[in-house]
Amino acid sequence: MRVLVVEDEAAIREGLRDQLARVGFTVDVAADGEDGLFAALEYPLDVAVVDLGLPKLTGLDLIRRLRAQGKTFPVLVLTARDRWQDKVEGLEAGADDYVAKPFHFEEVLARLQALMRRAGGWATPQLTCGPIVLDTRRQTVTVNEVAVDLTTFEYRILEHLMLRAGEVISKTELNERLYDEDFERDSNVIEVFIGRLRRKLDPQDQLKPIETLRGRGYRFAIPRTSE
Amino acid sequence: MHSLSRRLLLSVSVSLVAFFGVTIFVLDASFRDVSERSMRDLLDAQMVALIASAEPRADGAFAPQSGELETRLETPGSGLYAEISMSQPRDASWRSPSTAGAFVEFGPPLQAGERRFHYSRLSDTEEVAIASRGIAFEDESHARRNLTFSVATSLAPYQEQLWSFRKRLFGWFFGVTLLLLGTLGVLLRWVLSPVRRLEKEITAVEAGARETLGGGYPRELSGVATNLNTLLLGERNRMTRYRDTLGNLAHSLKTPLAVMRSTLPTCAPEPAKVLGGEIDRMSAIIEHQLKRAASGGALLGQAPLDVEPLVSELRTALMKVYARKDLAIALTVSPNAQFVGDRGDLMELLGNLLDNACKWCTSQVRVDIAIAPSANPRQRLVIVIEDDGPGISEANRARVLERGVRADENVPGHGLGLAMVRDTVDLYGGKLAIDSSGLGGARFRLELPGK
Repeated sequence: MRVLVVEDEAAIREGLRDQLARVGFTVDVAADGEDGLFAALEYPLDVAVVDLGLPKLTGLDLIRRLRAQGKTFPVLVLTARDRWQDKVEGLEAGADDYVAKPFHFEEVLARLQALMRRAGGWATPQLTCGPIVLDTRRQTVTVNEVAVDLTTFEYRILEHLMLRAGEVISKTELNERLYDEDFERDSNVIEVFIGRLRRKLDPQDQLKPIETLRGRGYRFAIPRTSE
Repeated sequence: MHSLSRRLLLSVSVSLVAFFGVTIFVLDASFRDVSERSMRDLLDAQMVALIASAEPRADGAFAPQSGELETRLETPGSGLYAEISMSQPRDASWRSPSTAGAFVEFGPPLQAGERRFHYSRLSDTEEVAIASRGIAFEDESHARRNLTFSVATSLAPYQEQLWSFRKRLFGWFFGVTLLLLGTLGVLLRWVLSPVRRLEKEITAVEAGARETLGGGYPRELSGVATNLNTLLLGERNRMTRYRDTLGNLAHSLKTPLAVMRSTLPTCAPEPAKVLGGEIDRMSAIIEHQLKRAASGGALLGQAPLDVEPLVSELRTALMKVYARKDLAIALTVSPNAQFVGDRGDLMELLGNLLDNACKWCTSQVRVDIAIAPSANPRQRLVIVIEDDGPGISEANRARVLERGVRADENVPGHGLGLAMVRDTVDLYGGKLAIDSSGLGGARFRLELPGK
């Protein structure tokens, strides 16, 4: 697992590098925004930890730029500015989670691991399959331009299915997408979510967006239209 | 006197009334004077005529020559009466025919050369003025006789004239006074219009519709307006500087603390534990105290902000942050609900409450925001946040709302966020209440300044 740490304060940067290496990460580091952006665009990263108060290029701009360039790995923001206004700004710019300074390493690690499990939200800003439009930035779903309220899990399942529209996704894979812990979850839970999704997206049972393939998994039946 | 207009109006009215009062009094007195003089002239003329035509009669009394008497003296009840009286050698008098039926007392006889003028009341309705003169005449036997000539005239016509005059006088002056006061009222509105404009502009600044007062005020008010503007700008700048300084202070302290924490793993475990605890305490203090001081409350003249977009942003953020939980956040926000206060404060407040709800809920969080038009303006924005988690027990509810509870004494798990919420609500003069939700968990209800 490869992680990038962008932080201008040497002690914090090196501390993170050591601790992450100790738990098995391959760690790249950068001390300012420009180096950080370069590293983010060049290396095949799984996740990044970005401080907001960086010299040369701010953390927010770094995140915006790497998203604009199509990089979809999750980003964890690390900063002293933890007013909700700042958190919302960071998340809107493209971050996926937020840890306030001073932090406990255990918390950073837990959040990084959680983020990596649910990677893939930044592929494209919008996924369109027929009348169903999914906005990954705002985490909203509309069917024929009417908004549909989904829970976080329902959203994630739908996102994954739509991203791989036409492909068969197993229940196990969906399980992995949802849950942090490794222990087995009842696979029937996925069925419940699929059922709820069908009811919410297709109340008149006309679209039939999700197909069940017995013994193999689920498939999103409506193909993606390219944006 | 609490009104400039009223002061002016009252002082002018009093002056006007006093001035007119004196004028009326003087005019009235002059008229009465003229009237009286004219009456006396009449009496004198009659007197002279009477004296000229008086001659001795057969019975010894003196009387005017017949045929020479004025018509009025002939007519009973005419209002003009005359008498010629004699007391020596015996009482004898002539009275004009007009005295028939009227009980006129002309008064006691006079010596030659004496004069008298007096008023007498004949009855309830008639008053007369009587002029008398004592004249010595020679009778046929060339003996000297002392005669008293008296003429009386009814005052009725004069009094009528006087009242008619007074009525007209008062009428006119009253009308003129009303007209003057009316004109004054109109003029006052015009003169005081800059004051009204000042009042309107101040109200607009307070409501956030204007930033400063306008210019073009008359000399007497321009000083006030300029000073107010200076005060407003200065206050705003000071508040911004103060808040920025505190915010920066909090921020800059966190980095060294983070550095210290990052260095802990390199220390021996025993001291590391102690140090770690202290670092946590310092973080908590910064979190609680400095953040509290940096949140300002409404600045004077701040425009109200729409609540709906703010809540939507928070919802999106929280759906991301809590993605590892199957979570539904249901929002019901009145589209025109507005908050009167600082954006950062509202965001912090709602962020903390929603974060709390999401953290503790099982899978549902419900948010309801509306305006209660009949409430006190400081409590018009009503925010209700519910979750379906374990809820807060009654004992802990009181603790969370208690004033002055220190960070480390707070209910574990609910942390500093709720203390901050309580402080902010207090700062805005709003209300906060915790009870149970229909969903099964806790229900937070806030009332804040809104419109």
